[in-house]
Order: sequence, then C-alpha cells, then structure tokens
Amino acid sequence: MKGNETMLDFRTSKFVLRISRDSYQLLKRHLQEKQNNQIWNIVQEHLYIDIFDGMPRSKQQIDAMVGSLAGEAKREANKAKVFFGLLKEPEIEVPLDDEDEEGENEEGKPKKKKPKKDSLGSKSKKQDPNAPPQNRIPLPELKDSDKLDKIMNMKETTKRVRLGPDCLPSICFYTFLNAYQGLTAVDVTDDSSLIAGGFADSTVRVWSVTPKKLRSVKQASDLSLIDKESDDVLERIMDEKTASELKILYGHSGPVYGASFSPDRNYLLSSSEDGTVRLWSLQTFTCLVGYKGHNYPVWDTQFSPYGYYFVSGGHDRVARLWATDHYQPLRIFAGHLADVNCTRFHPNSNYVATGSADRTVRLWDVLNGNCVRIFTGHKGPIHSLTFSPNGRFLATGATDGRVLLWDIGHGLMVGELKGHTDTVCSLRFSRDGEILASGSMDNTVRLWDAIKAFEDLETDDFTTATGHVNLPENSQELLLGTYMTKSTPVVHLHFTRRNLVLAAGAYSPQ
Amino acid sequence: MESGKMASPKSMPKDAQMMAQILKDMGITEYEPRVINQMLEFAFRYVTTILDDAKVYSSHAKKATVDADDVRLAIQCRADQSFTSPPPRDFLLDIARQRNQTPLPLIKPYSGPRLPPDRYCLTAPNYRLKSLQKKASTSAGRITVPRLSVGSVTSRPSTPTLGTPTPQTMSVSTKVGTPMSLTGQRFTVQMPTSQSPAVKASVPATSAVQNVLINPSLIGPKNILITTNMVSPQNAASESSNALKRKHEDVDDDDDDDDGDNL
Repeated sequence: MKGNETMLDFRTSKFVLRISRDSYQLLKRHLQEKQNNQIWNIVQEHLYIDIFDGMPRSKQQIDAMVGSLAGEAKREANKAKVFFGLLKEPEIEVPLDDEDEEGENEEGKPKKKKPKKDSLGSKSKKQDPNAPPQNRIPLPELKDSDKLDKIMNMKETTKRVRLGPDCLPSICFYTFLNAYQGLTAVDVTDDSSLIAGGFADSTVRVWSVTPKKLRSVKQASDLSLIDKESDDVLERIMDEKTASELKILYGHSGPVYGASFSPDRNYLLSSSEDGTVRLWSLQTFTCLVGYKGHNYPVWDTQFSPYGYYFVSGGHDRVARLWATDHYQPLRIFAGHLADVNCTRFHPNSNYVATGSADRTVRLWDVLNGNCVRIFTGHKGPIHSLTFSPNGRFLATGATDGRVLLWDIGHGLMVGELKGHTDTVCSLRFSRDGEILASGSMDNTVRLWDAIKAFEDLETDDFTTATGHVNLPENSQELLLGTYMTKSTPVVHLHFTRRNLVLAAGAYSPQ
Repeated sequence: MESGKMASPKSMPKDAQMMAQILKDMGITEYEPRVINQMLEFAFRYVTTILDDAKVYSSHAKKATVDADDVRLAIQCRADQSFTSPPPRDFLLDIARQRNQTPLPLIKPYSGPRLPPDRYCLTAPNYRLKSLQKKASTSAGRITVPRLSVGSVTSRPSTPTLGTPTPQTMSVSTKVGTPMSLTGQRFTVQMPTSQSPAVKASVPATSAVQNVLINPSLIGPKNILITTNMVSPQNAASESSNALKRKHEDVDDDDDDDDGDNL
C-alpha cells in the first residue's frame, strides 16, 4: 500500500469541503454535543473546510459540484485573474478592397489617419481589458502563407451560415470502416481539407477530404532542376508520382491516442502509448522529431492556435508545454491526482485546460505554469474539453454523460447539459459560438443551444464570492437535436468555416 | 468484450475458478474466456520468477532453505524493474516549479521550419555505405554492417541498439551529391528515398555517427563502417566537419585511419 501513489496523495493532502458558515456551526455543535472525538479528529486532520458566508447550498447544487477525488476546489484556487479575451487579429489587406495598403499592424490599432474600416470589421479601438497583452507570451510572427490563409478564412466567413435553434447545421459523418475498434484519435484541419486518424496498430493515416490529392515533395536532385522564380513554385516542388488520397505514417510503437494538425497545415502531431509525441511533416510525410519526456502513455496532444507551441498530457499526471524547436518541454503543469486525459489551448494561446481522471478540470497559465482555475463537478474521468470561440466559456464532457459549462472569468459552473447516456468523448462549439455539439459513445451527436445556456448569468460579486451559481434545470430546452448513428461512437467533431458539422467515428458492429 | 462462454464451474480446474472469482471481486463482469488463461499464465510466470530470484538470494546468503525474507527481497527487486509507476506528486511539483521558472524563450523570426537541433531530430539520413569491392571479405559480398539503422523504417523511437544487418536496412536508390569523397576506397553513398530535402539543407553535411559499437570480427582491413543513426540526447560525440567518423571498441591495429577522415 505504501507504493500506491493515489493512496499517498489521499493520505497527505486534505479533502476540501465547502460549507456555509451556518451549516458549519451546526456541524460543530453536533459533534461536540455527542462528544465524539474520533470523528472530530478525523475532520480536523483530513478535511479542509472552506467556509463561505451566504445561503447554504441546496442538495441539487451540492450534487452538481461534488465528484472530484480531492473534494471541491477551494475558493482561493479560482480567484486569480484570467485573461480570457482573444488576441487582436493583425490587420491584413484584403485584395477585394481597392484602397491602398494598410500594411501589417500587429497591435491591431488602426492608424489614425485612415478613417476607413479595417479589413476585419472590428470596430473597437480600445484594448479589451480581459484580453492578454499581445506580447504576454512570445508568439510566432505571421508569414505570407499565414496571411493568405487568413484571407481565405475571411472569405469563407462571409459565406458562413448563421446557426440558431431554427437553423440547425447539417452533419456530415465520416465513418471509418474496418477499423475493428482500432481508431483511437482523429483530427481535422481548420479548413477541413485533411483528416488524420490515429490507430491502435501504431500508424497514423492522413486522408485528403477534398479532390486535391496528397503529394510529397520531390527529391533533392529533382528540386534543384525546377525554376525557383516561377509563380507556381509551390506546385512544382510537389512530386506528381506520389499523389494519393491516403498517406500512412509509420513510426510509433504503440497505439496513437492523440493527433493534431498545425494551423498552417505543415505539420501533424501524434501522441502515443509509447510515451513519445511525434512531429510529422505533411510535405514529405515523414517523421521529423520525437519528443520524449513523458515516459508513460500520452493520452492527448494539441497544437496552439497560432502554431509553434503544443501541449501534451499523459499517464504521468502532468501536462507539458513544448515548442517545436525545443527537445525538452518549456512548461510542466503538475497538480492533477490522476492521468491527464485531455489537453486544450485557449483561443488566445495563453492558457491550457486539462481534464483528468481525477474528475477535475484545471486551467493553467502558459506564462508561469500556475494553475489558475480548478473546476470540479464531474462524476467521472473527463474525456473532452472545448473552449467557446469568444474565449469566455469552457465546456467539458466526462464518462458520467453530462456536459458541464464553466465561466472562466469568474470560475463558476454555469450550465449542466444532461442527455447523453454514455461517455461524452467529443465536444465542439460552432464557429460563432451559437451551438455546442457533443458526441458520445452512446452513438449520438447532440446539438445544444449555447447562446441560451449562457444568457442571464447572475454573476455579480456576491455570487462569485460564494463560489456557486443557481443552475437551472433546462437541459431539455437547450437540446436542439439528437442524431443517432448506426453503432458508431462519435470520436471527433469539427465545424467547418461555413458551420457545417463534420463528425468522425469508427463503425463498431456489436 | 462480450461475456465469455465459460466452462461450467464444475469442469474448470480449481485455479481457473479462483481466477474467475478474483475477476468477479474486482468488478469485472464482461471478459472473453481466454482472459482467464492469460491471467493464469501471468500469475504463474510472476510467481516462478519471484521464487527463482528468492532461491538465488537464499543460496547467496548460504541458507539451507528459502525463507520469507528472500521472497520479500525478490519481490522488492522485481517491483522496481517491472511495475514502474509514474513519479510521486511532490517530485512532479518540484520539477514543475523548476521548469516553470525559466521564462519562455523568444521566437526568432524567419527561421524556416522550427525544429530542434539536428541531433534531436529524426531527419538525419539513415543510410549506409555499400561496398563495391569485388574481393570477398569475411562476409562474402554481403553488406558488412553490424548496425541496424533506425529511422522511419523501423518503429522504435529509442536509441538504436547493436544488431545484425537485416535485409531491410536499405540499400537505396538515388545518389545525392554529398560532399563526401572517399579516395582509396570505392564506395557509393546511397540515401534513402525518404530523405527530406526540404527540411534542412545542411543535414547531409553534418550528420555524424554516434555510439557505434563495432564487432571487430566483422571489419575487414579495408571496410569502413559508415552508418548514421537517429541521434540520442546523451550523445557525446561532436559533429566533425567530415560527416564520417568511426569509433573503436577495442584497439584495432589493422585500421590506420584514426583521424577519421578516410584518406
């Protein structure tokens, strides 16, 4: 028993209980009257009683928040300031406009002498107080190819469908046949052109979803022969003989549990049970680097929304932040009591959320590695996380079948979506945050009304001081649709830039 | 896993019944029937290993019989080897604190693909030289490379180990104009097709040989072992300007090319 880590954690740390002052007085009086010193000793030694002033919680509220292996989160744990705003988009000239060049403006503040609209349509000139400063963490600069991507993104945004309760998205389901329960990870690129699947046979397969096939770069001898000045040099470097719809990447020596494309579609990351995270080039379809640090299975990995950084979480109960050009992690996020199952970056790349088998979700600051939020409430290991596009909310799904919604700024649970009957293994908000899609092992995809779930939040100072909010029982009203598959658990969800839903899973006949 | 069709308890041997009971006690209700066999096999293997170790310890202590202390020692020693668990929490918090103190490094602009130094990447060419000599060496025209190059062909991400040459260690196609010139020996440098030229232009020139353990019997007087491998972080060998380098395990008096420039 001495060697078991969980036992040690339980014996050394204190279980946290939140109780209102009135209830605590009652409890103290009761125990002292009964003169039951045993229980009082145990309480003193192993419990940490976090007292708050205010109304005692109802049973329903308590039920919502309990479940973590170490009790609930102390209120001070959720008091640090979190910059949940989004970073300003750099201004890029759009070719459609026939005005003069605005030039790159990293601060996002439009130049004063140009009164015309800036190309992104955002009118605010002031810095969002909730957004982190642009240079809080170093981010890679924007390359020309990135600017082209952003222009494509903006064009697609104009054609985007506005979703709502009366305008539900269509769902396109990609079923992996003949996977024989071997599909363990899926990722889709942001522009929905490539799908990667990680499998239990240690391979990573990349498919092209569009008619454009996958090509690898020519050999060095052929590359020296092409004309470097031609306009279509990016097509000429590709070798036509290697064109195919599927590329298989070999290298791991264990099932691949996590996959993530880089935002510029040049790299693919995969994390595996063999303890390494591998970086693959999508131009040569070979492995470039193996990042060793976790010596135990790595359950999840994700690239930062700006590229360059990535986070991985594994069985060793920590999440690590890496940069592609450092062979050792830059940050280690330690604090969970059990495996880190799921790791996600915040849209502004300054925070990382981790969901763990100890039933808590923690939010970590990339700058200094501190844990700035602890969210308890799930009754089972957490398997999916997603941030809302505006950066203010986090949705989490676990084996208990509930989807919980959290307000990051205040550190409170603001919603509970009941409906799934099995583990919720994938979650995604629509591009403008109006709809939350959840996919589960019960072979369904459910769509929830996110706007309604987040409106009317009573988050005044009094409520935040107590640490909990009254949760309405409105799961039924928020559920917009349930879509069943034929015995295919929904492993991954993705909203295209036009708000079409792509879902992926492996058909598992029973 | 569907519930297995288990043999009726009467006809199952006693230890299989016990194993089924253990599984039931641990809360596992659905499992294939062969799981019991596998568990029994594991138990048998574990117990025999422990008892064998205990016998060794007791004979080392010059005891007549194996007693509980020996068994305890055997269990302890095996547990450190086979059942490793993740590091304890305070250790993790400690190293996390140390690691998180250093500020995030600044990002250099316009530096091409951002990858770690070559020695930590898997981008080195994993090729070897194929001897063109007509004269048969000890291994009669076979490729005399006692090294298994590790790269994208095999699937082990750990440091390469010594192995015998297998047919799959590639003799591959395209000849790239690398700056290696070997006079006095006739070799062709062959690079694998998976070499990615777009990644790092300098890779062929600076790849180095690491941790080469040479079986001296396989080296003929004129064969030079050239292999490049995936690098390991513990590698102490520095890159030489010449891409080829050799290490001796024993003193090899036959070979007079000590400075490694193959001339």
